[in-house]
Amino acid sequence: MNDLKRLLEREAVRPLIGGAGLALDDGDFARFLGYCDDPFNYRIRVWSPDLKKDMTWLEHDREGLIELFKSLPEHLQRQGRLHRQVTVATVEPSNVDGFLVVTSPFVVHHTNLEGQTHTLAVGRYIDIVNMIDEKIVLTARDVMLDTRDLGIGLHVPI
Amino acid sequence: MSARSESSWEKVPRLPAGHFVSGLVYTDPDVYQDEIDNIFSKAWRFACHESELPEPFDYRLVDHAGQSLICIRGEDDEVRTFLNVCSHRGGKLLTEPSGNARLITCFYHRWTYDSLGACTGIPRPSGYSKEVAKDSMGLRGLRTAVKHGLVFIALDEGAPDLDTFIGLALDQFSEMLGTTLLEVFHYNRAVLDCNWKAWHETNMDLYHEFMHAVLRQTQVGAMPMEDRRLITFENGHGGSGGDLKAAYDGYKSFAGRGGDVPPLPGTDPTDFRFVDLFPSTAIIARGTVVRIDTATPLGPDKTLLEMRGLGVKGESQEHRQARQRHHNQYWGPFGRNVPEDMIAAEACADSFRNQAGRYQIIARDENLTGQDDAILRAFYKEWGDRTGRDPGNPIDPATA
Repeated sequence: MNDLKRLLEREAVRPLIGGAGLALDDGDFARFLGYCDDPFNYRIRVWSPDLKKDMTWLEHDREGLIELFKSLPEHLQRQGRLHRQVTVATVEPSNVDGFLVVTSPFVVHHTNLEGQTHTLAVGRYIDIVNMIDEKIVLTARDVMLDTRDLGIGLHVPI
Repeated sequence: MSARSESSWEKVPRLPAGHFVSGLVYTDPDVYQDEIDNIFSKAWRFACHESELPEPFDYRLVDHAGQSLICIRGEDDEVRTFLNVCSHRGGKLLTEPSGNARLITCFYHRWTYDSLGACTGIPRPSGYSKEVAKDSMGLRGLRTAVKHGLVFIALDEGAPDLDTFIGLALDQFSEMLGTTLLEVFHYNRAVLDCNWKAWHETNMDLYHEFMHAVLRQTQVGAMPMEDRRLITFENGHGGSGGDLKAAYDGYKSFAGRGGDVPPLPGTDPTDFRFVDLFPSTAIIARGTVVRIDTATPLGPDKTLLEMRGLGVKGESQEHRQARQRHHNQYWGPFGRNVPEDMIAAEACADSFRNQAGRYQIIARDENLTGQDDAILRAFYKEWGDRTGRDPGNPIDPATA
């Protein structure tokens, strides 16, 4: 029974993680937020072998993300398109009933305006997924980046 | 009024010397080699912050002028710097970017060195003549000096001392950096497709405030342009001569910034203060947080950029988080400003790479107020003095 439950949870989570990635790829931030709970917390973290410390490179709650997305048209940004290749690897119960911890390795490719593609970043999404309500949503996302040289950087969540 | 002809485009600008720079300073391989030989191999340069070496035997690797260096704190608390090269066969000694090494052991033949740079061990020394003995086989030491917690190094043993080189350029940071222990909480590197000067110019050029949405809305109008004070120093340094201001409420998600953590010593949360140290270090403070940039040339068209963010050592988690948030608003790979500066540096490099762009104009003259280009001109004057080349015409026509 437990195995079946886990299988069902895994199947339920896959379109959530995949859909959120596609929404970010499309730059459709309203759609991305549709996959996110309220409240929602988003964080990009990196381990620094130079400082021997964890660093946080971006952190926003839902309101902060909304403001960030609103401001994007005013900013000079990396041109082209991002493509996130995300694989749901593990789906585990969290220590809070009804919530799952989902770990998904990802690769982000960038395709520039000339059509050249290169790997921009690799890392893992550690997501807290709310399964309590009818709609399955992301309650928190920690992006654990392996890549530390992001070239000219980004204005958008990875 | 029309587009410019070929001859007009390629003509030397009718501006005073020092008010324009040839695009060749960014691309010519001989110019680049002169910079390595006469600037980066001669001048003092920021290497790391003391907080990166808190304990005896803590070390930090530094890339400089194409060489790997070891900055290490000795048992006597002194910070020293060595080439990261074994005296024996040239093996690279340390590879982890930081760590603690009571003994530095070469992987290849197990020669060992201590934090003074002395050779302490040679396996089976009896096979060598007396010329190859521990006493004469220490590491190559470099001049190292610490000022306000900033560790500087110089490859040239004949360079004037650090205080002479820096002069008064760090005075406006002495209270901030020198009266409270600070520590690095943010570090990132990025390799950019541009010349090192193209990056450093983004820190020297106030006129490009207009490029940044945040600065258009918080900084350009925060105080009268004529009340701004800029300053240049000997040896090519320059910076703010008095605090510039930011009005954070102009950018919605920055509203209230600074109310959640004390500012750094000697500043107000709305202060903006900067100094550009020749050749390629910038220290930039925005009230509650300070950033240190270092650009290291990897080739005429390739630059390693290192960025550090500093907060107060030992502060509460709440304050650290606030300071980190303030840092990340502007800076870091996901900041609102830094990626825009990087885009600008690479975009200009694109133009100069194939000589489509011929000259850059640094002719704003506002009597050291507003968005004067005086800091850029001071930089290029020093650059010319050290390379023996005219920034406006760096290639001798007779030999070009």
